[in-house]
This record gives sequence, C-alpha cells and structure tokens, in this order.
Amino acid sequence: MFSYYLKLAWLSSKKTWGMSLLMVLAIGLGIGAAMTTVTVNYLMSANPIPEKSEQLYYVQLDSWEPTEPYFENGDPPEQLTYRDATALMQAKKATRQVIMSGMAAVIEPKNKDALPFMVGGRASSADFFPMFNVPFLFGSGWDAQADEKKELVVVINAELNERLFGGRDSTGETLRLAGKDFKISGVMARWNPKPKFYDITTGAFEDVEEVFVPFSLITEQFFDRSGNTNCWKPSESGFQAFLDSECIWTQVWVELPTAADRDAYQGFIDAYAAEQHKFGRFARQNNNKLSDVMTWLEQRQVVSDDASMMMAMALMFLAVCLLNTVGLLLAKFLGKASEIGVRQALGASRKDLFIQHLVESGVIGLAGGLLGLVFAWLGLSAIKAMYGDWIRDLAELDMNMILLAIALAIVSSILAGLYPTWRACQIQPSQQLKAQ
Amino acid sequence: MLSMKHITKSFATDNVVTHALREINLDLAEGDFVSVTGPSGSGKTTFLNIAGLLESATAGEYWLDGEDISKLDDKGRSRMRNQKIGFIFQSFNLIPDLNLFDNVDVPLRYRGFNAAERKKRIEFHLEQVGLASRMKHLPSQLSGGQQQRVAIARALATSPRFLLADEPTGNLDSSMAQSVMALLEEINRAGTTILMVTHDNTLAAQAKRQIYIKDGRVQEITDNRNIHNLAVG
Amino acid sequence: MLELGPMLRALMRNKIGALLIALQIALTLTIMVNAIFMMIERSAQMARPSGLDETNTFYLTNTVFAPDYNLQAALAQDLQRIRETPGVVAATQINAIPLSGGGWSMSLQNKAGDDIDGTGVAVYMVDEQGVDALGVELIAGENFAPSDIIWRDEAATEWPDKIIITKAMAEAMFDGDWNKALGQTLYINNHEPMRIVGIIKTLQAPWNGWDKVENAMLVPQQLDGRNSRFFIRTEPGRRDALMPQLEKALAESDKGRIIRSVKTMEQTRADSYREDQATYRILFTVIVVLTLITGFGIVGLAMFSINRRTRQIGTRRALGASQWQIMRYFMLENLLISTAGVVLGVAGAIGLNIWLVSSFAMKPLTPGLLIVGCFALLAVGQLAVSYPALIAARISPATATRGRA
Repeated sequence: MFSYYLKLAWLSSKKTWGMSLLMVLAIGLGIGAAMTTVTVNYLMSANPIPEKSEQLYYVQLDSWEPTEPYFENGDPPEQLTYRDATALMQAKKATRQVIMSGMAAVIEPKNKDALPFMVGGRASSADFFPMFNVPFLFGSGWDAQADEKKELVVVINAELNERLFGGRDSTGETLRLAGKDFKISGVMARWNPKPKFYDITTGAFEDVEEVFVPFSLITEQFFDRSGNTNCWKPSESGFQAFLDSECIWTQVWVELPTAADRDAYQGFIDAYAAEQHKFGRFARQNNNKLSDVMTWLEQRQVVSDDASMMMAMALMFLAVCLLNTVGLLLAKFLGKASEIGVRQALGASRKDLFIQHLVESGVIGLAGGLLGLVFAWLGLSAIKAMYGDWIRDLAELDMNMILLAIALAIVSSILAGLYPTWRACQIQPSQQLKAQ
Repeated sequence: MLSMKHITKSFATDNVVTHALREINLDLAEGDFVSVTGPSGSGKTTFLNIAGLLESATAGEYWLDGEDISKLDDKGRSRMRNQKIGFIFQSFNLIPDLNLFDNVDVPLRYRGFNAAERKKRIEFHLEQVGLASRMKHLPSQLSGGQQQRVAIARALATSPRFLLADEPTGNLDSSMAQSVMALLEEINRAGTTILMVTHDNTLAAQAKRQIYIKDGRVQEITDNRNIHNLAVG
Repeated sequence: MLELGPMLRALMRNKIGALLIALQIALTLTIMVNAIFMMIERSAQMARPSGLDETNTFYLTNTVFAPDYNLQAALAQDLQRIRETPGVVAATQINAIPLSGGGWSMSLQNKAGDDIDGTGVAVYMVDEQGVDALGVELIAGENFAPSDIIWRDEAATEWPDKIIITKAMAEAMFDGDWNKALGQTLYINNHEPMRIVGIIKTLQAPWNGWDKVENAMLVPQQLDGRNSRFFIRTEPGRRDALMPQLEKALAESDKGRIIRSVKTMEQTRADSYREDQATYRILFTVIVVLTLITGFGIVGLAMFSINRRTRQIGTRRALGASQWQIMRYFMLENLLISTAGVVLGVAGAIGLNIWLVSSFAMKPLTPGLLIVGCFALLAVGQLAVSYPALIAARISPATATRGRA
C-alpha cells in the first residue's frame, strides 16, 4: 500500500509541479539556512574537553583599579598579574596548576637554504600537557624541574615537526628558536580543540600554537610575549618593574577533581585576596572566580553575537518557509476535495486518506530535507569563504548535524503537512459527489 | 439485504431544524432493482447518501447485509462501502489524474487484493464495459458515456452486492443513457441489488420497483414487475 | 467598496488559509525590517573613513632574531633605504596599524592626579614622517620635528612631552570644541604632561569595534625593539610594484632578521570588516530569498484559490462583472490579508528588535524604516497577486454554462 501512496504522491506532485517545486525549494532553503547557522552555533558552543571540563577551572582575581571594575558588569579581569599568578603557582594548592602566556619567536631551520620564519607559541608550566590531555606523537612534555631550572626545552606540534623534520621522531634533537638551541622534549599529535578553551583572550577559535616552552623562560626575555597586556596603574621602567606591576597578562588554570577541592581552592584564593587587600591591593577582595571550562566559555560568550543573531533569523526564516508550505499544501489538498470524496465512497477510511496525504507531505518534506542538506553544505562553504580561516573548523557538517537536518526536515514537513492532512480527512464525501 | 426502519435525517442550522428525511421504512431483497424518484429537494440524494454510508442518519435503524450500520465506526463503514457497495454518480467522478486502469484500481487497493488479482479484475471489468483497449487513457480523453461505463466498471470491481446509482444518466444523451441503463439491468440480472436515484420517469419505470419521495417521506412504492411481466409476456 | 462585505465573509469562511498568508507576511516583515536595519548599521560602520591614504599605503614587519644586534643603527639604515627608494613618498616606523586589531591604548586626563577619570586613546608611535606616511590631514598646529623623536626601550614607561591628537579626541577632552585644544597640556600615567602640538582630522584606532575608535594620538617615539613595523606611503599606482621590491631589498640586506606580514592598508580594511561584510551579504541574501518565497507563496495560493473558483468567477463574469472588477477583487483580497499581516508584522519587528537590543547591544529600530518595510511588503503582495488575478480576469464567462472542467 505504501508504494501505492508513493505513486499517488508522485502523480499529485507532478500535476502541480510548480507548486511542488516551490514547496521543496522553500523547505530546502529553510532547512539549509537553519542547519548552516545551527551548525556554526553548535560547534562554537561545543565542549572542547568533555572528559574533564568540569574539573578544570580558570582563575580570576580582581586586582583591577579600585575606582572602576574591569568589566561593566563587575566581573573580575580575564587575566592575572604576573605576581598574583606566580603566588598561586608557588602555593600549589590544586592537584595540577598551570601558568601561561602567549609568545612568539623566530625559528632558524637547520637546513641553511630554508628561510627563518616566525611561529606563534605558548609559554606554560609543565602541568599544561597532562592537565589538558594533550596527545603526543613522540616524547612528552617537560617536568616541574625543567620549569624551575629554566631549561631550554620545547614541545612542537605535529605540523611543525612535519615541516622541520619530515614527521620523524625528533625528540632529543635541537631546535634553533629565538636565537637559542632548545631541546625537543615531545611532538604533539594533531590537536586543535575548538573553542581553544585554554586561552580565549585573543580569539576563541584560533589554532593551537606551534611551539610550547617553559613559562619561567619569560623572565629571560629571549622571546616576545604575545596576547593582551592591560594596565591600570603606571609602573616604573624596566622589565622587573613590569613583572611587579599591576599589568595583567598571564592566565592560570587549576585542576580540582572534586567539589570539595573546588570549595577549598575558592577559600584559598579568597584568603589570598584578603591578605593582599591588607597591603592596599584588591579593592574588591571577594570578587574572585573559579569557572569550569564550559562556564568560562559561556561567561566570555565565545559564541559570537552574529552567530546567535543569524541563528535566530534562520529559525524564523524556516518558520516562514513552513507557513508557506502549510498554506500551499492546504490549498492543494482542499483543491482535491472531490477526489477525496470519491475515494471515501470507494472504501477509503479516514486513516487511509490520512496516510495518503501524510505520505504526500512527507515526500515533499524529504525532498526538501535532502535539498536542505545540499543548501546547508553550500551555506557552510559560503561561510568559510566569506569569514575566513578561523571559522574553518566551525563550518563542518558532522554526522550529528546531518541526522539533525534529516530529522528537522521530516519533523517540519510532517508538522507542515499535519494540518492540511487533517483538513483533507474532514471532507464530507456526500458534499463532494453531487453534480455541480 | 437492506432494511431501514424509522430513518430520519435532520440538520440544525441557526436555531432552525430542517428535516431532510422523516421516518423512512424500506426493505430491499437480494437482487432487487429499485428506482427512487421525487422532485428537487425532496431528500432523495440524502436518502442515497445514507443508504451508501456516506452520511449517518440522525435517528432510526439501518441494517445492510446483516450488519447494524449504526454500530460501525469509520473503519467499519469504509470497509462496508468498499466491499459491499458500488457507487455510480451523475458526474462520473473519475479521478482525473489517474488513467482508466488506475481508476478502477482505486477500490481494489483499499480492498487489499494482490497485484495479480487486481489486474485480473480490472481487465475483466473494463472488458465488461467494452473499454479494455483504452486502459491507459485518461478520463478526459473519453466521451461522457464512456466515462460513465468506466465508473460502472470501477463500482463493480470489488464485486459489491449492492449498487447505488445517483442520476447515472443525468449527464448523458438519451442513446448513451439507454446503453448505460441496459448495462445496469444486465448487472442486476447477474444478481446485484441496485438502488438508483433518477428524475427520469421512463428510466425509473424500467426498475423492478419504484419509490417516490417527497418532503422527506416515502410517498408510494410501485411494483413494476407485474407490468414488466405483462410487457414481456 | 461594495465588495468589502462579501469579501470579508468569504475570507472568514477560509480563515486558516488567510491567516497563513497573513502570518507569513508578518514574519517576513519581522525579519526583513530587522535585517535591513542591521545592514544599514553595518554599512555605516564600514563606511567610516580611517583617515589614512588607504590606496597608496602598506606596511611590513621586521623581526630580528640574531643575537648581538645594533637595533638602533639597523632601524636608521632600513628607514633610509626605504625612503630613498624611488616611488616612496614617506615612511615611518610605527608600533601599531589602524584597523588591524592589535595595538596600544592609554588613558589621558585634563589634570594631573591619581583619581581623575581619563579618556581612552589609541597610541601610534611615529617619527617626523608619520603624518605624511599615514596620509592623515593636519588641520591645526604643526608636525613633529626630527629633534622631537626619542628612542623608547621596550619596557620603558616614560612618554615624550609633545603629542598630535585627532579632532575627535580633542573634542572629547575639551567639551566638544577642538579649537581649544592646541597648545594645551594633557596628562598620561596620571602625572606626565604632554602638550598638544597638532590636531589631525581623522585617524582611527586599531580596533574597529571600539566605542572610542576615533580617539587616537601620535607620539614622537621610535621603538628600540626586536619587532618593528614600517608604514610606507607610495606615489599613486606604485604601491603594488614597491611591495615585493622593498620586501626583497630589506630581507637581502641583512640575514639576521626576517621581513614578514607585508600587507596593504586596503587589505587590512577588508580583513578588519570581513565579518561585517559577510554578515551584510548573508542578510542581503536572506531578504531577497525570503521576499521571493513569500511572493511565490502568494502566487501559488492565489492560483489554487482561483482554480477552485473558476466556475464562480465565470458566473460573475456572466452576470456582468468586468475583467477589471474580477482582478480588483483578488488584488483587494490580497491587500486586506497583507494589511493584517503587516500590522502583525510591525508588532513582530518591534518585538524582535527589543530582543536584539537587549541581547546583542543592537540599536532600536527607526520608525521610518518600519513604515517603508510595510509599504514594500504590501507592494510585494500586490505584485505577486497580479499575475493570478490577471488569469482570473481572463476566465471566460462561458465557463458558467459549461459543466465542470
């Protein structure tokens, strides 16, 4: 019987092909637009480290200007001063803790024919790698001793290892970085979490850095810091004065496995702030925050306003397309009233008619949904072309999204078809069979 | 075969109750051929709709082939229409998008026959009305008389025991009307009970019995069989 | 209108059908008006001048990696090399590039003191060729003299005592009257005085989304660091040839550094507004597609409705209705439904705007745009229905006497 209904749906759609095309196109465009924006939003709000996002906490202390909070809503600054961050590191009150900042340096390849080039890097302490579950191809990160002794060690990413060493195990070899010879302690496997949760201060969707070096080397001034530096209080000249200043430019993450650990750590940073308050710092001494990964990403609103606005618009656009389809299907089914009457006279029950028309709407919906997938793919390609490189990984249809698109298409078309179908089944046969 | 007792149909609109049918009592035996006549608005179409289970009576009892219709739900009524009743309409009511084969196929689909059975029946009945060669034509490519013959083939496809005809010749010229009428008589002779609404007294007189409805009531029932017999004899 | 009564009664019998079109028009208006409003905002933002001679300027970054390097001597040599290249109008070392997204900002105040509110300003460290190289227009005062330029160590916090500020910054500091600014002193780092020696018409900050994007100042400093940028202005038409030429010349002159990020100001502007540009295009596409879908939806529904009413229309024609009267009936019917939709849509548009304003810091809609949107959609409705209405008008009166087709 189902194939019969499919045949009827085909005949009926073919007869009013213009309208059928319009309906398929409308559903397709609606689904395509919705899926494009939903995909971008879904990937922007994805959990980049689901296995332990609830155990990793970003630390915020309010060291900012007494007269004016850093954020208008009163939130503490998004980075820490060097002195506060190092104090937290030395206290070692968490299971793991990491201090870090962006950096950049020039690499001089061993091959003298190759030109020196600039890489973006990260200066971090040893816990970075185990804390964020960084996968390694070869070797590993460095240990706390390397941090302490300011050893010249480096972890490079897979792409850089490919470029410099042809992908071979380069651990133990030296890398000429910032005019010094660094020993390679590990090569990361491909790892590119989106959002780049561990540092979103210069953009939440940047690629992972190419080199990682011990944070303690910052004080040696071989390489440039990168990232934002914000100061509210003038300081003296010189690097040491800068390190001691109220300028914020470092980030601290802590790993706290249980809620009790978390509460204890909150108590610790509050006590630290209270102590600093006594020395005339920390005007807002109770404004210290521990945010787990997802809370932090939400608080900093990594999903861009444009993405959310576009999604709202796209969902409304889908609603227009569905209203369009409901209207057209209704008009079409009511136009077939006499056929419906005849079918009833010939023995079709309401259920038979219901299925027949639902199949007809379903066929339109499915065609629209498939077209919608094509439009979504086109839409995402257009987004990649228009927004540039950073959105590359945020504009990919994964299996979840494809399934969602198909489900959305079927649900929408059935929703769109339901009322017209119901109306079609309400047709009184006796009214339709009389000669006019 | 068919038995109606005190069948009443009324419509309530804007505080006014209109009675379309009042207290209809009627019994049809197997193999009967009854014509229903009456002036416009007398209620004969409503009567036919109730007889054909397209509408429900407001009150009264209706038994068809041993089943109490008032006890049936939509599914049961659809099954009855499909298996026991065949319909022929004044305006043929063929489905314009379907060719002749598919038109006759419609009731068979709802009956749930397999493909071979359906094909056999469609070919047989189209052959019976003389249109087997035009199976792939669309209704719009046929004359009115031919369309009505297809409608009859469709009505007979599920081998109903009861055929309802609503002005079956109303849209046809007299020679075509006669050929359709002859077909109906032939069907009746083969054992199918026929109830035919018409305003044409000549045609009505060709039925075995004649019912005259006026103001929603059966005014008189004439038995034509004796006359027939006389004419034949 | 005589037809209005019967028309309304006919519409009431097909409430849902009419309601669907009205809702569709309402939602279309809701989206359309807000989308157009966003487009207008974006394009206004993108149209703001940076103050630079964008067509003839580019910049490059010089990163030194060799140890034991005389940075000051190398900088002077590089600048000389660039300035002597034929086709170069002016060149300066600079710490940040307008619209590039990365730079420095400081706070300036009218009086010295610790607890005085300051005003944010973007800082551009340039030498005496800075004004010429950027191509900014000096509208009062004078440029820096070569003797004003001082070296600045990377970790230094001291500032020179002369500055050139933008007109917008001057207005912000002197109650909206920039004429008062010249010769006055402003304070940086709470206490350090800086005298305003010049005022430039426009120079935007590195951050296009900053609320103080027009606040900028030039300070006469040269950075003594391992990363430096050169901002170069060329004679018209010579930029594209000079870019690779200078890059190559600088790179080959000294192997202890790399020359990177060679980029035109035009490209910087395009990158800076890339998202706005993309959003603008998407919104434009949405509006066009949405209008088409709504328009064709109206055509489709009208066609169905006319098909169903063929005999009725034929009968009306037979009873003496003219073609124009038939057409008018359908046009008027659409106008009635569209008006209802537009009224609903105004409420929807305002509602969506309120949400956008509260969630995304968008500005409130202008009523003028809302009114234009209403009339535009009514026009779309009339245009869409005119074709089916024309078909209806051409239905022959003879249809009335024929059987149903």
